[in-house]
Amino acid sequence: MDLQVFPHRILGSDRTEMLLNEIEALDGVKRTVIQGPRLPPEDPNENPKYGERRVITVNGKEIDLKIKTGRIFIDISNDFNIVEVKDSIHEICKELLPFGFDIDIGKFIRTQKTVTDSIKYGNKSIPDELIGMTDQSAKLKDRVTIFKKD
Amino acid sequence: MAQYYPGTTQVAQNRRNFTDPTYKLEKLREISDEGVVKILGHRAPGEEYKSVHPPLDEIDEPDDHIREIVEPIDGAKAGDRVRYIQFVDSMYFAPAQPYLRSRSYLNRYRGVDAGTLSGRQIIEARERDLERISKELIETEYFDPARTGIRGKSVHGHSLRLDENGVMFDMLRRQVFNKETGKIEMVKDQIGKELDEPVILGEPLDEKTLKSKTTIYRIDGEAYKDDKDAVEILHKIHATRSEGGFCPE
Repeated sequence: MDLQVFPHRILGSDRTEMLLNEIEALDGVKRTVIQGPRLPPEDPNENPKYGERRVITVNGKEIDLKIKTGRIFIDISNDFNIVEVKDSIHEICKELLPFGFDIDIGKFIRTQKTVTDSIKYGNKSIPDELIGMTDQSAKLKDRVTIFKKD
Repeated sequence: MAQYYPGTTQVAQNRRNFTDPTYKLEKLREISDEGVVKILGHRAPGEEYKSVHPPLDEIDEPDDHIREIVEPIDGAKAGDRVRYIQFVDSMYFAPAQPYLRSRSYLNRYRGVDAGTLSGRQIIEARERDLERISKELIETEYFDPARTGIRGKSVHGHSLRLDENGVMFDMLRRQVFNKETGKIEMVKDQIGKELDEPVILGEPLDEKTLKSKTTIYRIDGEAYKDDKDAVEILHKIHATRSEGGFCPE
């Protein structure tokens, strides 16, 4: 099953980084998808005091953040009790999202290959972990970062 | 005594304050005249006002009682062009909102035309009067740098979730949050043309102040249904309207 964290405000890069680091450190978290409005394109003339676009570090791995976080989907491993994981995520969010948030249990990341996936990848079989990790218009390597867990 | 708005809540009181021309609006920030001209983007600072007709004194106007009774506003006397300023108010406790803006503008200012839409509100007036009015609207309680946008075009955003620093979404990013100073700066004019120097609009109001100044009923603030007085008047209007419009054949 998945969890959805819906912050009551759109998150900037600093808070996204903190939140993702905390969530990724939890046991039972298999995959995380962040979704939201896209950050404006890179502009060399932009004054850094206004900009939000930067490379964030999650679990020691660098990710080029392309969006502002509006929603977070978290895939929870079946070996763990989802309610317990939800409680620990609730604790993290209470600290990092002072303006409020909602957490729901449900199915938020799709699990089956769609027609668009077939057109995009052909008849090649995609690993289950990559299904539903990106939208159809984007390249997988631009959007997905894979962490090696021990 | 004029009756502007029913209700016993703070929201109702704020609505009355805006609509009552005798109420003196609190001044919250200082914006220079040049800053206002830059934000509007209708003329360069220091440039002469362009005119569409000669000054009224130089025109032989036909004899007319109304012309004698009504004193023309400064811009009309000089023959200025009609220009505009448009505001967008976030649904998240912005101080003003479009309908209230129209009601209050028409009570407070002469010689203006106000246009109301669901998320934005435009006011048109002769150029020099518009600049005076705009200055007042930006400096006083009508405006909050984060929750109110000055947008001549590309207005989308009044109902979207706010950024974590409380700033309303703006696809052209005219009003941006300066992380170093904590102030909102206007880096583009109202139609999105880049400014040489940003106009500093000041710090956004905090959540508590906004909730005490807002004119928006919200379930997470003051709910409309809790304002018994306002609901009663609404019901009364609804009933009399229905009965008045009922016509048995």
